[in-house]
Amino acid sequence: MWDMIRYSFLTKIRNRDLIFWPLVFPFVLTTAMYFSIGQVGEADFETVEAAIVTEEGQNEGDIQNSGEEMFSQFLEGVEEDSDLIRTMEMTEADAVKALENGEVDGIFYSGEDPSLTVSGSGFPQSILQMILENYTEGKQTLEDVARLHPEGMEAAVEAMSDYGDAVEQVSLGGRTTDGTAQFFYALLGMACLYGCFIGYNSAMELQANLTPLAARRCAGPVNRLSLVLTETLVSFGLHFVNMVLLLAYMKYILKLEFTGSYAEMLPALFLGSMIGVTMGMFVTSVGKAGEGVKIGIMVGVSMALSFLAGLMNADIKNVVDKNASLINRINPAALISDAMYCINVYDAPERYAQDMLILAVMSVILIAGTFLIIRRERYVSI
Amino acid sequence: MIKIENLVKRYGDNVALDHFNLNVEEGEIFGLLGPNGSGKTTAINCMLALLKFDRGSIKIMGEEMAPDNYKVKEQIGIVMQDVAVFEELNVQENIDYFCSLYVKDRKKRRELVEDAIRFVGLEEYRKSYPKKLSGGLLRRLNIACGIAHRPKLIILDEPTVAVDPQSRNKILEGICELNRQGSTIIYTSHYMEEVEQICTRIAIMDHGRSIAVGTKEELKGMIKTGETVTIEAVILSEGDLSEIRTLPHVFDVQYSDQKLVVRCTGAKHNLIHILNCLQEKEIPFGRVFSELPTLNDVFLEITGKQLRD
Repeated sequence: MWDMIRYSFLTKIRNRDLIFWPLVFPFVLTTAMYFSIGQVGEADFETVEAAIVTEEGQNEGDIQNSGEEMFSQFLEGVEEDSDLIRTMEMTEADAVKALENGEVDGIFYSGEDPSLTVSGSGFPQSILQMILENYTEGKQTLEDVARLHPEGMEAAVEAMSDYGDAVEQVSLGGRTTDGTAQFFYALLGMACLYGCFIGYNSAMELQANLTPLAARRCAGPVNRLSLVLTETLVSFGLHFVNMVLLLAYMKYILKLEFTGSYAEMLPALFLGSMIGVTMGMFVTSVGKAGEGVKIGIMVGVSMALSFLAGLMNADIKNVVDKNASLINRINPAALISDAMYCINVYDAPERYAQDMLILAVMSVILIAGTFLIIRRERYVSI
Repeated sequence: MIKIENLVKRYGDNVALDHFNLNVEEGEIFGLLGPNGSGKTTAINCMLALLKFDRGSIKIMGEEMAPDNYKVKEQIGIVMQDVAVFEELNVQENIDYFCSLYVKDRKKRRELVEDAIRFVGLEEYRKSYPKKLSGGLLRRLNIACGIAHRPKLIILDEPTVAVDPQSRNKILEGICELNRQGSTIIYTSHYMEEVEQICTRIAIMDHGRSIAVGTKEELKGMIKTGETVTIEAVILSEGDLSEIRTLPHVFDVQYSDQKLVVRCTGAKHNLIHILNCLQEKEIPFGRVFSELPTLNDVFLEITGKQLRD
C-alpha cells in the first residue's frame, strides 16, 4: 500500500500538465487579480481640487438670495462632510489658468444654473461631475425649502451634501472589507473545483477501459478497493494541501483580508477539494465520450460554476442569489465562496453551517456515485 | 495451464469470440496467430478477467478465472499490445512499481528489478524516463514491467509491433529464455514468421474462432500445399498454362504480370518438372523460387484469404 501511495504521489507531482491547472494556475490567477482589482480598494485617494467662479456684475444682496448662494452652500457642505473636494473661489481668468496648470481639476461656474468645465476625463473629473449632477437633481427641492421653510434651508443643504458614506464601507458583521474580497473567495471556489483535473488523471489510471496502463494495473493481484482508495487519497491529499497553501498565500503574502479562523476556513476547503477531485473522477469514468470532450466538460462546468459564484463579476453572485437562489445553493463554488464570506465578512454561523452541510452532502453523493462506477472489475469493452 | 471452453463474446451484433476453445499445457510457448480483428486481444482480456463475456468458461491453473482470484493473478505476467508504463517514472521506478503489485518484500523486489533490467538490456537506461527511450527500448521496458515478478504464466500481446529488427530479435530470444526458465508463454501476433520461430504450438484464429491448432508441422500437414514454385519474368500463353496444369502433383496455377505461381502437393522433383516443361517449349524465364508451405499458406487454404489481408 505504501509503495502504491508513494508512486501515485510521484506520478502526480511529476506530471507538469497535472500540476499546472489545479496547482499552479490558481496561484497565478490570484496574483494577477491581486495586482489588478485587489489594489483598487487600497488606492490612495486624493482630494479633488476645484475652482468656483461667481457671475460678475452681481451685488452682495443679489447673491444672498440667488441660486448661486444655494450652490455655494452646497459645496461648502460637501467640503465639510468629507475629503471629497476642496474648492477655491477665483476670478474666471485665474481659474482657467489654474486649470491649464493642473492646479485644479475643474471649474464650477455658479449661478442660477451652475456649470462645470474640466480639462480631461478621469476619476477626479467624474467626482466633480457627480457632485454637480447631484446638486442639479436636488435643486428644485432646495428652492422649495428656501421658499416655504427658509429656516430649514441649512439643514436641507447639509443633508444633500453628505458624502460621508461614500468613503468608508462597513460590513454587516461589523468587520471591514475592501469590497474585492468576494473575487478571492470565488477564486478559492474555482481552485477547489480545478481538483477535477487530478481526479481525471486518477480515473484514467484506474479504469481498464480508458488506458492500457489502467488495464495493466487492473490485471494485477491488487484489491480494486485498495487501488481506488490509494488514488483518491493521494489526489485529494495533494489538492487539499495545495488549497491550504493558496489560502496561506492570500492571507500572509498578499495580506488579503481573511479574518476568520483556519478552523472554520479549512473545512470548507476540505469539502471543496473533495468535490473537485471526485467530480473529475466521476466525469472521466462515466460515458464513452473521448478525452477531449471530458476535459471540455470539466473546464466548462468549473468555469460556469465559478462565474455564477462571482469570479468574473461579484454582482453575478448577488443577481443569482436574488433571482435563482437554488442555483447557488447547489453550486459548490458559490457555497465555498459563501462560506468564506460568512467566516470573514458576515459573521453568520448559521448560514456557514448550512453551506457546509450542503457541501458535505454533495461530497458524499459524488464519492458514492464515483465509487459505484469505478468499482467495476470487468468491462463490457476495452 | 489454461483451458478455455466455448467462449463467446459479443460487442452488440459483432461476435468477437465465437465458441472459442483453447488448451495450453504447462511449459509451452503457445502462439495465437491471426489477422487484426480476429479476436486475439479480446481472448487475452477475457483470460485476464478484464472483459465480461457472454458464455463459456476460462480456467487458469485449474481455477476459474475471476477479477478477485488474486492467487492466480499473482502467477500471471502481462505485456500489453500498447506500451503501458508511467511517463513520470524512470525505467527502474516503473519496473519496481509493477513488481510491487506482486511482490511486497522490498529486498526481494530490488533483486527482481535488477534481474529484469539486465534481462531486457536496459542497464544503461535505468534512470531514463520513457519519453527519452526509442521505440525498441520502450518495448523492452514494457516487457520488463510484465516479467519482473517471475510469473509462471506470461501473456505477451503483440510485443514486437513497430519494433526494429534488432530489438525484435532480442525480444524473441528473451521470450525463449523465459520459457527455458520455466514460464509458460502465450504469444499473440499477426507476424507468422515470429510465431513459427518461437512457438511450440500454434492456434490460428479468424473471426473469433480457433480454426486450426497444432505444432507448425502439424498445421502445415493439414493442407494440400507441399511446395510453392514461383517463376518471374516469364511470358506464357493459355496453352502453356494448360500444359503446366497437367504436370504431376500440380493442383493450382496462377499467372499474372509475367509471374507464375504453381502450387504442388508435397512430392519430390516438382521444380524440375516445371522447368523441364518451360525448356522443352523454349520459353525464357527470370528468377525462380521454391518455398515450403508457410502458416500463411495454411491460413490461405483454410480461410481463402491471406493472413495479412
